[in-house]
Amino acid sequence: MFLILLKKELFIEFRSREVVLSMLIFGLSIILAFAFTSNVSKVIVSNYAPGMFWIMILFVSVLGVHRTFSYEKNFDAFSMLISAPIDRGIIYLSKWISGTIFLTLMQLVIIVPFFKFLLLDLPSNFILFISTMILVNLAIMSVAILVSGIVMRANLSEVLVPILFFPLVSPVIIAATKISSGVLAETAYQLWQFWLLIIISIIVIFALAGYTLFDFITEE
Amino acid sequence: MVTFFKNKNNMFFLIFVGILLLFNIYNISFNTPMVPDQHWAQKIFYVHVPSAWVGFLSYFVVMIAGLMFFVKRNDYWDNVGLAAAEIGTIFISLVLITGPIWATPIWGKPWIWEPRLTTTLILFLIYIGYFMVRSFGGHIERVKRYAASIGIIAFLDVPIIFLSVQFWAPEIQSHPQVEMAKQPAGILIPFLISLCIFTLVYILMLRYRIYVIQIKDKLIKNV
Amino acid sequence: MLSVTGLSKSFNHRKILDNLSFQLKFGETAVFMGNNGAGKTTLLRIIARIMTPDKGEIIFENINILTSQPSSRKNILYIGHAPAMYASLSALENLKFALEIRKNKLAESKIIYQLEHFGLLEQANDPISFFSQGMLQRLKLTYAELSNWNLLLLDEPFSGLDKEGEEQMDLALSNWQKKGKSICLVLHNIVKAKIYGHKTFNLLDGKIYQS
Repeated sequence: MFLILLKKELFIEFRSREVVLSMLIFGLSIILAFAFTSNVSKVIVSNYAPGMFWIMILFVSVLGVHRTFSYEKNFDAFSMLISAPIDRGIIYLSKWISGTIFLTLMQLVIIVPFFKFLLLDLPSNFILFISTMILVNLAIMSVAILVSGIVMRANLSEVLVPILFFPLVSPVIIAATKISSGVLAETAYQLWQFWLLIIISIIVIFALAGYTLFDFITEE
Repeated sequence: MVTFFKNKNNMFFLIFVGILLLFNIYNISFNTPMVPDQHWAQKIFYVHVPSAWVGFLSYFVVMIAGLMFFVKRNDYWDNVGLAAAEIGTIFISLVLITGPIWATPIWGKPWIWEPRLTTTLILFLIYIGYFMVRSFGGHIERVKRYAASIGIIAFLDVPIIFLSVQFWAPEIQSHPQVEMAKQPAGILIPFLISLCIFTLVYILMLRYRIYVIQIKDKLIKNV
Repeated sequence: MLSVTGLSKSFNHRKILDNLSFQLKFGETAVFMGNNGAGKTTLLRIIARIMTPDKGEIIFENINILTSQPSSRKNILYIGHAPAMYASLSALENLKFALEIRKNKLAESKIIYQLEHFGLLEQANDPISFFSQGMLQRLKLTYAELSNWNLLLLDEPFSGLDKEGEEQMDLALSNWQKKGKSICLVLHNIVKAKIYGHKTFNLLDGKIYQS
């Protein structure tokens, strides 16, 4: 059942490409803003690059998550999902995984422009950079999907999502920046393994909370 | 309808807590030793830390009320959650106000990214969102479920926020009174007394607020 | 087969359903009538578990669906006002997905056959966001025809249909009744209500005031 729902999410996105494309374009404009505000001075940017990268991802993911829930509201499609005889926790899991996939796809495209526009070198250990990035994406999406699931039917939901999401996700921002800094500076794994633990515990706690809470919060 | 303080036990409790509060102010002002390099500024410690304790306790009550609301689906637990969220936010605000007042003479600047203070600030921001959902979320029955789930995930997030903030900038570890156990008895005992009194004040406030919210609910329902 | 007891639901402290009870036997059709805001749609959405009531019990096929596993309501199908399908997917894709999550997978040829029967074959691969109101109604009818159910919750099926569509709907309803299926129907038209209703409930302020 999880795979059917995941396939549906991916298929809708494949049809319209609206989530990944809108995230990508928004991300590019944020890079532009970073370039202008930092004077693209290599001294400033290279220290701050991991932070910039994750700030961009955070803003972009709010946009993407909002999209994935607004097409459910269109034509009342969501009532088909929740009236179906399935465990609603699975809806959370499918949205979580599909959201992570969209975010990762968007990042894979934007990594090169990000580093090149800011006149930085690409990460030397590319595989490690990407794999830690995917782990962080899982954590970001586990929180983002749960928060937007909670307020999806609320008035002003597009305002409430970032207001609740940003403070809740602050441990992930810290950890992601530390991990990426470590990977970019090629420091020893022991120096940032603690932050991987933080990321993993966020994933476990929020995935469990999302899976159990979705039954209550998705009702109309 | 009998008002809350017409009840003899509640009235007695109010007077009792009031006397204790007066005693607490006296005790803090005159019976505690002066810390040499902090002087009067250190006294705020007896308010700052108990406020933080009550604030976090109250947010814990919000989580429990949220869980109970989902299990029992009973409006009573929503009222408890709302009351605890309101009072918790009052005390957390008190922490965020007394923190800089204490910090300015000691550290020379109003804000330092000290882990406990930072965690408190993040939690405060989450609860601003909580109250925004409460007021703009839509019809009341729906908002109750949103509020309960935010209360649950906010508290689940606390240990992780604290851990990550603590190791985020390890050079900032200069909380003036971190090691409670290492405090001399002259400070520790009045501090513990203050902690107990604050907890009693909290219990009184919470009970009163739940009572008021219940009356408000009844009035709206009967209109 | 369906027994609803003491159902209550409020929005903003306003009672939409007020201690409502009714029963439905196998093969019976219940028609719900009443003004806008009388709680008809809310009632159907609660039985479909899209909403949860504040109080009350819903026993379907001897199981309380409010407290038991989601699979206990696999034989209930809800068809509301809105299409409840994805605007960017085609009719065929929507039907395939909707049937799959009801654990009711069918061969594509069967779906295409029904789409043809309801005159939607030409548009079967167009996104349903381009569909007219009447076409969406017929799409919902196709969905109801294809899925497995014992209890159908149908909200104003005749709105937005042309003459031909209305005939198809009439035919489908009488076919289901002949097969002994149970239906909860929300209608505005008293003539239709007399044709289909074994029981007719008039709702006013969330209560049944006449049956």
